[in-house]
Formats: sequence, C-alpha cells, structure tokens
Amino acid sequence: MREINPPKLSRKFLKLIISEDLFDDIDGDLTEIFYEQTETVSLTKARWLYMVNVFSSVRNIHLRRKLNFYNPLVMYKNYFKIAFRNLLKHKGYSFINIFGLALGMASCLLILLFVNNERSFDGFHQKKSSIYRLDEVQTFGAVSAQKVALSMYPMGPNLVNDYPEIINFSRFWTMGKTLVELDGTQHYINEVVRVDTSFLEMFDFKLLSGNKEEVFDDMFNVILSKHVSERIFGNENPIGKLLKLPNDNVNMKVAAVMEDVPDNSHLQFDALISTKAWDDERRRNGWGSNYLNTYLQLANNVDVPALEAKFDDFLVKYLGEEILEAYELFLQPLSDVHLGSMDITHDYNNHKKFARSSVNIFVILAFFVLLIASINFMNLSTARAATRSREVGVRKSIGAFKGQITGQFILESVLLSLLALTIAIGLCFASIGSLIQIIDRDLSMSLFFEPFNLLLILAVTMAIGLLSGIYPALVMSGFNPAVALKGNGSTGGKSFFRNALVVFQYAIAITIIIGTTVATRQLNFMQNLDLGFDKELTVMLDMYNDTNEKYDLLKSELINQPNIVDVTGTSQRLGNNLHQTGITYEGDTATINGSSSFVSVANNFFEFYNIEVLDGRALSDDYAMDAQGKSFVVNESLAKILKADGSEVLGMPFDFGGVDTLGTIVGIVKDFNYNKLNLKVEPLFMSHQSWGWSEVNIKIKGGDIQASLEEIETVWTTLFPHRPFEYQFLDDHIDAMYQSEQQLTKVISILSGLAIIIASLGLFGLASFTVRQRLKEMGIRKVLGASVVQIVMMLSKKFTLLVFIAFLIATPVTYYLMDSWLEGYTYKISIGVVVFLIVGIGSWLIALLTVSAQSLRVAKSNPVETLRIE
Amino acid sequence: MKGIHLGEFEELVLLAVASLTDNAYAVSIQAELEERVNRKANISAIHTALYRMEDKGFLESSRGGAVAKRGGKNKRLFKVTNHGYNTLRESKQAREAFWNVVPQISAP
Repeated sequence: MREINPPKLSRKFLKLIISEDLFDDIDGDLTEIFYEQTETVSLTKARWLYMVNVFSSVRNIHLRRKLNFYNPLVMYKNYFKIAFRNLLKHKGYSFINIFGLALGMASCLLILLFVNNERSFDGFHQKKSSIYRLDEVQTFGAVSAQKVALSMYPMGPNLVNDYPEIINFSRFWTMGKTLVELDGTQHYINEVVRVDTSFLEMFDFKLLSGNKEEVFDDMFNVILSKHVSERIFGNENPIGKLLKLPNDNVNMKVAAVMEDVPDNSHLQFDALISTKAWDDERRRNGWGSNYLNTYLQLANNVDVPALEAKFDDFLVKYLGEEILEAYELFLQPLSDVHLGSMDITHDYNNHKKFARSSVNIFVILAFFVLLIASINFMNLSTARAATRSREVGVRKSIGAFKGQITGQFILESVLLSLLALTIAIGLCFASIGSLIQIIDRDLSMSLFFEPFNLLLILAVTMAIGLLSGIYPALVMSGFNPAVALKGNGSTGGKSFFRNALVVFQYAIAITIIIGTTVATRQLNFMQNLDLGFDKELTVMLDMYNDTNEKYDLLKSELINQPNIVDVTGTSQRLGNNLHQTGITYEGDTATINGSSSFVSVANNFFEFYNIEVLDGRALSDDYAMDAQGKSFVVNESLAKILKADGSEVLGMPFDFGGVDTLGTIVGIVKDFNYNKLNLKVEPLFMSHQSWGWSEVNIKIKGGDIQASLEEIETVWTTLFPHRPFEYQFLDDHIDAMYQSEQQLTKVISILSGLAIIIASLGLFGLASFTVRQRLKEMGIRKVLGASVVQIVMMLSKKFTLLVFIAFLIATPVTYYLMDSWLEGYTYKISIGVVVFLIVGIGSWLIALLTVSAQSLRVAKSNPVETLRIE
Repeated sequence: MKGIHLGEFEELVLLAVASLTDNAYAVSIQAELEERVNRKANISAIHTALYRMEDKGFLESSRGGAVAKRGGKNKRLFKVTNHGYNTLRESKQAREAFWNVVPQISAP
C-alpha cells in the first residue's frame, strides 16, 4: 500500500500551475482523494482520476491567498538594515565590490561625456539638417582620386541661381592671421574669415551687440568675437570704431560683437568680414581654382543624391566637358563634417576633426569596461551568498516566501549599485580635469544633471543592480532552509557560471590590452619612422608680403647667429597634404598634361632637409635658370610616371600651370613622407618660384634651444618690429597630424588599465571567497604534511586555468581586429607573437599575484586555528 | 442583496461548510455535496469557490489535521464567518419573500 504514490509527472505539473501558497493545500486534497480512490477502484483508474483532477485545476492557475497579516514596510526597513550591516561586516569585500563598479561606471560616464561632446559638434545651428558642405572629388592624372573640402569661388552663387533646391549659400574663406592697427598700436587677430552676408542667416552664431540684418551692409564691416574685442578695445564699446589694415591701407568698421565661437563648432574664427570687398569680376569668373569652403542650404525634402547627380551638368556648363575627368562634386551633411571627414583632405577649417570609428571604439570600450565591472559585482555577490545562507535559512523557516528573498537580494544589489553611482560621480569630478587635458575637449559634468540624463543614468544604474542581483538572488532564494541553516548553502560544482564569468571578463580585458599595445606601438612606429627628411630642430615662422621683401636680409642675419645652422624658405609647410597643380611635360612622342603636388622651395631646401638626391642634381644658386623657376626637381613617384613611356626623365621639358615655354627637370630625389604616414607618397615636384615664401624654416643647434629661439626673436623683432614673434617646431607640427590617434591611444590605455584593475579586483574578491570556503580542507592538508608551496599551487591552479582559457579566447579575436585596423596604414608594424605572449603572461602573473596573496595567507595559517572553526 | 453577490454553487458550498462545522475542507465538502444534494463537483471547482469566498470574507481558514493519506500535508479547514452567515440568511430570506407571494398550487 505504501509504495503506491500519485503519478509523479502530474504532480509536478500541479506544482507548476498552482501558486506556491496554495500548493500544499491542494496537493494534500488531491493526494487524499487519490488514496481514497485506490481503496475502491483500480490503481490505473485512480491515477487517471488524479490526472483529471490535476488538469481541471488549471482553472485555479490565478488563484492566490490574500494575506492580511503581511506588512511589507517592516520588512523593507529590515532589508535596509541588514544590507547596511552586511556592508560593514565585510568591509573589504564591500569596498572591492562597490569600488570596482564605481570605477567602471565613472569611466563609462566620462567616455559618454566625451562621445556626447563629439556628437554635439555643430548641433547648435537651427538649420543644421538642411545645411551641406560642398566638397569635391579631384582626380588629377597621376595623383590618386581624393576628396577635398575645397570649392571654387563662383560655385556658391551660381548653384543658388541654377537650382531652386538650393536656397542659400555662404562661402567661408579664411584670411588667416591678420594684423590690425588701432590708434597706432598693432594687434594680431588670429583667424579672420571672409563670409557671405547670408552666413549669419544660415549659422547660429550669436551676436552680443549689433544688428544681424545690417551687419554686413558696408563693405568693410567686421564682426569681432568677444575675446578679441576685449583684447583690443578693453571695456570700451567697439561698435563703429575703425580698425586699420596696415598692409592694405584700408579701414574696417566694427559693426558687431559676437559670442566666442563654441568649442564644438567645426568652423572657428575670431572675426568675420564680408566677401564684398574681394568680389570683383576676376573672382566671380574664377573657375578652376579651389581655395575656400562653400556651404549650401537646401530647401525642405530635397532628394540629395538626385541633386548631386545634376552637379555634373553644372560643372560642364561652366568649365567644359573635359572637367568631368578631374572633378566631381558632392554634398556632405553638416552633421557629418566633424566626424565623417577623415578621408577628406585639404580640410583646413575643421576644428578638432575626429574619426567616427574612434568614437565608436570608445563607446564599445566604455560598454565593455562597464560590463567587466558589472560581472565583478555579480560574481562577488554570488560568492558572498555562501556567507549568508544562514540568514536565508532563518528567513525561510520563519515564513519568508521565495519571492521575498529574491526581492530582498535584488533590492540590496540595486542599493549597492546606487551607492557605486554616487562614488562614480565623485570619481568623475576628481578626474575630469585631467581627461580634458588629454583629449583637449571642453567637457562639462553639468550634462549629467539634466533631468532626462539623470533619469537615464539612474535607470541604467538600477538596471545594472537588478541584472547583476538577479542571479545571486535566485541562487539564494533557492536554498533549502534545512541545509542553509547548517551554514552550508552553496555546494561545490555550482561555480561553473562564476568561472565562465571570470573567463569572459579576463578575455575582454586581455583583448583590450593587446589592442592598446598594438595601437600604441603602431603610433610610435609612425612617429619615429624615417620620413625621408630631417624634421628635428627646425623652427617654422610664418612669412607675409612685407616680411618676404626682406627675406634675404632675414636669412643672412639669422645665419650670422652662433646657434643657427641654416635657413630656407618654402611656399607650404611640410607635414600636410601639399597643393596640387596641373603639369605639362614632353615625352618622347607627345606633349602630355597631368597633375602633381607642388611646393616652391629655396635652392638650399634639399640640403637643409637632408633629402637624398638619386639622380641629377638639387637646385643650386650656381644656375641662373634655377632662380627663374625653370628648373624642376621631381620625387621618385612622379619620375616613375614621367618615364612611363620610356622617356628619359632628366632633361625632360616640364612645367606647370599651363605656361608656353617649358622648363627642365634637373634632378630626382628619393620619396619623402611630407604627409601622414597612413597615406602613400603622392607625385611631387619642387622648384624655386619668385612669388615669395609663406614659411621660413630655421635649423638650430641642438645644445641650447632657448638661446637659439632668443636669437631668432631678436633678429625678427629688429627687422619687423610690427610683427609679433610667433614660431612652431616642425616636429610638433608633424606630431599634431597624429593628434586624433594620440588622444585615442591615451584614453584607450587608461581604459585598458582600468579594465585589468577592475578584473583583478573581482578576481581578488573571488579568490578570497574560494579560499575561505576551503579553509578547513587546507587545514587538514597541512596537518597531513602539505607544504606552503603546495597549498599555494593548489589554490592558484584553477585561476591559472581560467586565465589561460580567457587568453585562448581573446587571442584570435584580437588578432583579427587589430589586423583589420592595421590594414588602413601604408607603413605598419607586424603584430607579432611577442605582444600576445607578454600580455598573456602579464595578465596571468597579475591573476596569480592576486590569488596567491590570498592563498598564501591560508597556507601560512596555523591549522589549529582553521580547523577549530565550526 | 447589496454587496457581494453569492452564486448558486457558492451558496451550496457555503452551506456545506456550515453543516460540516469542524471538519470542513475541500475533500469533505465534495463528499457532503454529493451526499446531501447529489451534486457531483470536481475538486478544482470546490477549490475555486472556497478561496474566492475566503477573499470575499464569507469564510476564514486555518490549517491542521495532517495525515499520511494526504502525503503529510495539512488540511485547510474552513469556517463560515459572521458575514458569511448573514449573507446566507439574506439569501434565504430573499427566496422566502418570493415563495410567500407565489400562488400556492397544490403539491404533487
């Protein structure tokens, strides 16, 4: 009789459908009926009837007992109290737990602040969605097709005339650093820009005084930014005052003062002046030369690709059929200019331009660091479940429901994550200053406290608390009270989940660190690569029309100084893209037109920069032809193109800019990297043109840089007293090209450091729990004769295995990622095994160190102490 | 008649609980219903009625009387509350009020 039981499966199903608080009653009733049936009918029939009863109980699936004795408020108070006591009882673990999460949150918050700043560029213009920048794709013969941000002077007005879809335009034409004179005192204005009168209608730069509509009414009206106005006029009202342009002998009238241009605008300027003064017949028909930016405002709902398709006809109309071989126009949305211009060259007016891909990398990293931190949090909470099994046991035997226990632990975990958030915000405040310095952005914490953002942050924090609390809460509430009360809640073998999390964590950390190492090495490699010219100890000064007249005097004065080695002049600064021009040369059979980059240089340029001459000769003062600009030196890349049809390059008739009598090629030099190293060297020629230098390059002695600079300053200010002395080192200028990459690697290095710290914090906490659980086992081992080393080894073995698995997972992923990243560089390092080995062994050592710190303590402890614990 | 409506089946169950005094739990109620009014009800229907009426305040319950036959589980023993008795009485009076005016046709 006793062996007869109700059908197990049906009973399980009953448990599934009936709510927990009713199950005992109903299960009892059904069981009773079943046993009564077995006395009267056959066993099969009794079972059948039991099943019928179970199935008809489905109707009671929603039935609950209303509890009128339950007062949750009292319990909530108790939850808070217990949570707080637990924090204090395990100060060390609480610290690791909360601080790790806070670190993750803080770095995530700061990164998001930065990302938000990047995304906010040009967002303050009301018409941002209808404004586009007009860009070109240039394909000049030999030079590979490149997108440029430049456009031609007549393009804007004619586009508005020809296409009703385009309702407004403004050009942005920089005048550069401009000298102005007020009452005999001279001042520089760093960036004066010529714009069209519609500029302020399209872009929302705020005027502080002056009338927006009338501001450009007079030809030489100028708008000053606040800081310039304050610098020149002090506290006086500048409106209506005249500023003299001493070099052109005209007066500009201050018509308005505007707020300083915000840092998150890709257009930066200190003063605006209308293009009217330059708008002559020659410029209006100046098709063919690109030297400014054009912005177009489109009507609503314009199909942009369709409009772009019409631009070919536009080019043909004004420039003839063959222009399409060299030019193509396209529109770039304003929102895309800051983050989407990495492949666009000659992009001179793009303040702090940044790669969208880098921003995405930041977002991904921030996410992963937060993930590592959350996993830690979860892992430690789960591990701690063991120490609280007694509490769960007591709660359960007093009558807590499973749901209540789950709720308690989730609440606790949400509470901790909120605590972590407060610490994280504190950390942000402490570290934002240095971050601003590293990435050179204007970040403000106030963004966090805007209602929507604050709510979002709180919601995410609580979600983290909830998600990381859910697993430990479910584990704890599942404890059998009888076992839990004995203080042995978690049993071995259940730690698979925890181990998987540790592996995952470490895999991410290893990936990030290897990635960072490779990226940093690539960057260092590029910065230290032999560029093909000597960039060290070179000081660059800007030249102007008036200073150019005295170039020879300046040069001889400078060379007379003891600390100055050599002086040369160029028309463009090395370390960017150089301007391109059309070329003409005579091969064996025909006269060929093409195009190439070009820089005008003084004769001693090659000697000055130590550029290797492969064939022929460099420019020289000994040849009269050289000074007339009829001798040309080409680089290897151009030489390769010139001799494509088998002609001899040296002595080849060659010229540029469509002149009638050609000059001659006198020399070939080795390719040198005048541009960023991820771009290949373009064809280039050099000659000495008489139109003056825009740069003077001064090579100084290495010993005392300060003394050399003082000598240059003395010479400069004696010769040009009205020109303030300003200089830049060439290597600084070249390093600035890699600024975006440098910022990226610096921030990523910090993040990867944090990732490993957080991961190790978690491992430390976890190790100490594991060790504590095995205290007694270790005591017995010691009594039986295990040595300290053996015990440490035993405890470390598991974690070594975990790190090793993490390494195995991380390696291929990282290799793939970094390999595709390096694809973008012409000059690149090979990734190599060494990085992987070093990082792998390094992270293993860190893990070992954290674990053995714990295990050593146990191994050294007196077995009498550990065994006595009951 | 105001307040919570008492269904026909619920009324029977309530009466059964009242008549069973100290041993009213689902299984005994099921037997009682069959015995007195020849009503065959599934145990789950009785559960529904019992717990609903407990929610409504017609019944109160306590646990006790675990036996091996029940797999060691307690019975949930129900008692009719004062409110429950009042409702039963009101229901009876309502019926009687009708019976008083229904023409007295001779009983078969």
